[in-house]
Amino acid sequence: MSFILDIFRFDQATDEEPHRDQVECHIPPTMTVLDALESVKAETDGSITFRRSCRSAICGSCAMNINGTTGLACKTRVDSVLRSDNTVAVDPMPNFQPMKDLVVHMDPFWDKYTRLKPYLQPADKDSDHALERRVSPEDMHKLVAVANCVMCATCYALCPVVSVDPAFAGPAAIAYAYRFIEDVRDSKRKERAAQISEDYLWLCAHCYACSYCPKHVDPQDDIIAVKRATIEEGLIDHPGPRHALVIAKTIKATGMLHETEVIQGTVGRFNIKGLIKVAPFGLRLAMAGKIPPMFLKPVPKVNEIKMIFDTLEAPVLA
Amino acid sequence: MIKHDIVVVGGGLAGMRAAVEAAERGADVAIVSKMHPVRSHSGAAQGGINAALGNEAEDTPEAHAYDCVKGSDYLGDQDAIEAMAEDAPRQIIWLEHRGCIFSRMADGRIAQRPFGGASFPRTCYSADVTGLVILHTLWEQLERFGVKVYEEFFATSLCVEDGIGTGLTAYNMRTGELELVSAKATIFATGGAGRAYAKTTNGYASTGDGMAICYRAGIPLMDMEFVQFHPTSLKENGVLLSEAARGEGAYLLNKDGERFMFKYAPNKGELASRDVVARAEMTEINEGRGENGCVFLDLRHLGKEKILERLPQIRELALDATGKDAVDTPIPILPGMHYWMGGIATDKDGATNIPGVYAAGECACVSVHGANRLGGNSLLETIVFGHRSATHAANYIKSVGDVRPAEKTYKAERDRLDGILARTGGERHPQTRKALNTAMSDHAFIFRDDKDLAAGETALRQVREMAQKMTTMDKSKTFNTDLVGLLETEFLVDISMPVMMGARNRTESRGAQARTDYPDRDDVNWMKHTLMHFQGPTTDPKPDYSRGVTVTKFQPEVRTY
Repeated sequence: MSFILDIFRFDQATDEEPHRDQVECHIPPTMTVLDALESVKAETDGSITFRRSCRSAICGSCAMNINGTTGLACKTRVDSVLRSDNTVAVDPMPNFQPMKDLVVHMDPFWDKYTRLKPYLQPADKDSDHALERRVSPEDMHKLVAVANCVMCATCYALCPVVSVDPAFAGPAAIAYAYRFIEDVRDSKRKERAAQISEDYLWLCAHCYACSYCPKHVDPQDDIIAVKRATIEEGLIDHPGPRHALVIAKTIKATGMLHETEVIQGTVGRFNIKGLIKVAPFGLRLAMAGKIPPMFLKPVPKVNEIKMIFDTLEAPVLA
Repeated sequence: MIKHDIVVVGGGLAGMRAAVEAAERGADVAIVSKMHPVRSHSGAAQGGINAALGNEAEDTPEAHAYDCVKGSDYLGDQDAIEAMAEDAPRQIIWLEHRGCIFSRMADGRIAQRPFGGASFPRTCYSADVTGLVILHTLWEQLERFGVKVYEEFFATSLCVEDGIGTGLTAYNMRTGELELVSAKATIFATGGAGRAYAKTTNGYASTGDGMAICYRAGIPLMDMEFVQFHPTSLKENGVLLSEAARGEGAYLLNKDGERFMFKYAPNKGELASRDVVARAEMTEINEGRGENGCVFLDLRHLGKEKILERLPQIRELALDATGKDAVDTPIPILPGMHYWMGGIATDKDGATNIPGVYAAGECACVSVHGANRLGGNSLLETIVFGHRSATHAANYIKSVGDVRPAEKTYKAERDRLDGILARTGGERHPQTRKALNTAMSDHAFIFRDDKDLAAGETALRQVREMAQKMTTMDKSKTFNTDLVGLLETEFLVDISMPVMMGARNRTESRGAQARTDYPDRDDVNWMKHTLMHFQGPTTDPKPDYSRGVTVTKFQPEVRTY
């Protein structure tokens, strides 16, 4: 029993264009894609290049595209991805510059962490504490999921927002911001929220691509929590939070999305320049006969919707 | 040329702890590492880190030290062990202050769990990802202090000028250029060498780089025959299932469903020290009470909730590799090569016999683990001795003027690498690696005897001849992992003979060294360390037994669990 690894080949120093090699592999398909790469490198072509170390999904080195989806090669069994033509295609992670074969330039990813000032900044001095700072199991538990992040960049590679705007912090770094924002020992909640807002937190479109996390960190939930924290810290003078808050406001008030108000609320009611900028868009809507009504009549039993908001203590635009 | 006061080789726990300490002391420090620090194999440590905090039960550093000495089968140097046990609580508090995400008790203090060979619940942890959270905490401190990291720089040799360490040469994997890295002090923190064996819990990167580099430069390797086999590794891929499983109450069962450990360790059962448990498992398997060469780790009675809270990673690792869910099925396991008690001979400040050269962590042999390491002490060793070696080095560099760049060493090393890349015709290096792995796994496993070890020496002599002619297929300059793999195999070949010869010479059973032809510990003749001196790539090392064991207050006793 054998199968074919269809491998992306490229050397940044010598190649203008990548090419592909099809290499026969003779390991049982119950083994992993990383085992397959190791096998063909040892047996067939020593120049096949990839990063790897722990082969137990804890070092984060071997993230790559496997049949078009990013994942850890050491955690992906061949038989779980083998295509009907008996091949498995391996490619470098998208959203990164390839260096050689499956190895990419990771620096832009690490830079996103550096911008966070990713280290604990308590209000008091360490020397004020002879022993550990006390943290309740519940408070520590909030950090447990994100503590499992191995920084493999799978989420970053899968993120469509990163693909259109590389300045976006990306899911992994936002989750790491959450790690400090939610740490009761840290004193820089507001500064951290401000920094991550500046790094385009609000560009996240909540597509949930990052829920495909090999370590179940599920950064999509952390991103929502960080957005909430920025609102709680009053960092709402920005189209992102205004958009979220005005949507909540119109739904709470009417039971429906009131688009006219959402546009005004997002741009800013007194932001004349901004409103002029969106005016042609409004005109085009009007020409097409799609102008939303200026006033919305609340749905019946709108009080029940208000109750939901109040129960959830969901923030809305003041 | 790259130049710093202190250069740390390796970006795992020991290396980063050293670098952070050097930075806090104001030294110009950098890390040279063959991978990004958070990729280091320290992150794969699962169960925890020992310190006599006394949070869960009355405990003292002295009790910790005693457990280590007993665990080491009285081969550990007791002054170093006492220093480690005494410093442990301070270092844990330091990590906590820097943000480490430790699991907590209801009152908010750091939780501690029982571990093998320990008198009290002494192991601080974060579920079963303790190594990872500490790794991240230290990496955060590198970011805080802006420590320069030469990432994906592969160290190839140590520079020694006029008997003093002056830095190293390192191969820049991204450009394919060899770099001269000058330093007044060089601290090796390159981890273990599990890849000498066919099956290991260690990652691909654990290739004994620092051990071999120092050994070649004239620093002896110490106690290399003491190789730890972890009692619970997966048969399929050798991956580790943490001792924390047994710490939390898991059973070891043979094929008849019997909890066999109490036959071998009447008091401690599954929580005897690792050498004892590993031998017991092999005995069960050899006497026909295993199944497909395995015994079983049984977590079922812990219940799903506890497994998911405290041991989620190992449950998933077992599920991925075997398809079996530990929540409702016992997992087949067997002893797997895990850890090197031996390594670069150092004193308790991490200093070697060459001024300006230090070693810390698994690559070093202080010795605090002696003939057998206790679970939870490897992470502790990295932190304590990373800290101590940087403290010593930061003082040392004040007394050293500018070091002379080792131009000659650099040129010789560059020619050597060019020569390797130019080789054609011979066998590729994976063949040599395979032959090495077979020799080590067949002849330097848990039970040993003279005949077997002699055959092992013969096999290794053949392997080292093969190693002189190894070739690469990749001749490129960009990220040449083929060349790196060859150099790693050279390292592994060099450090393997000290294991085999050390095991053969030591005519006793002590800790992880179990000689079927010498089944007893021999305190009259063997209360001494093994030192091995490099004599050349195709020559046997020179053994040296001049270094006795330092005994302070714990006299050797019969060791039972």
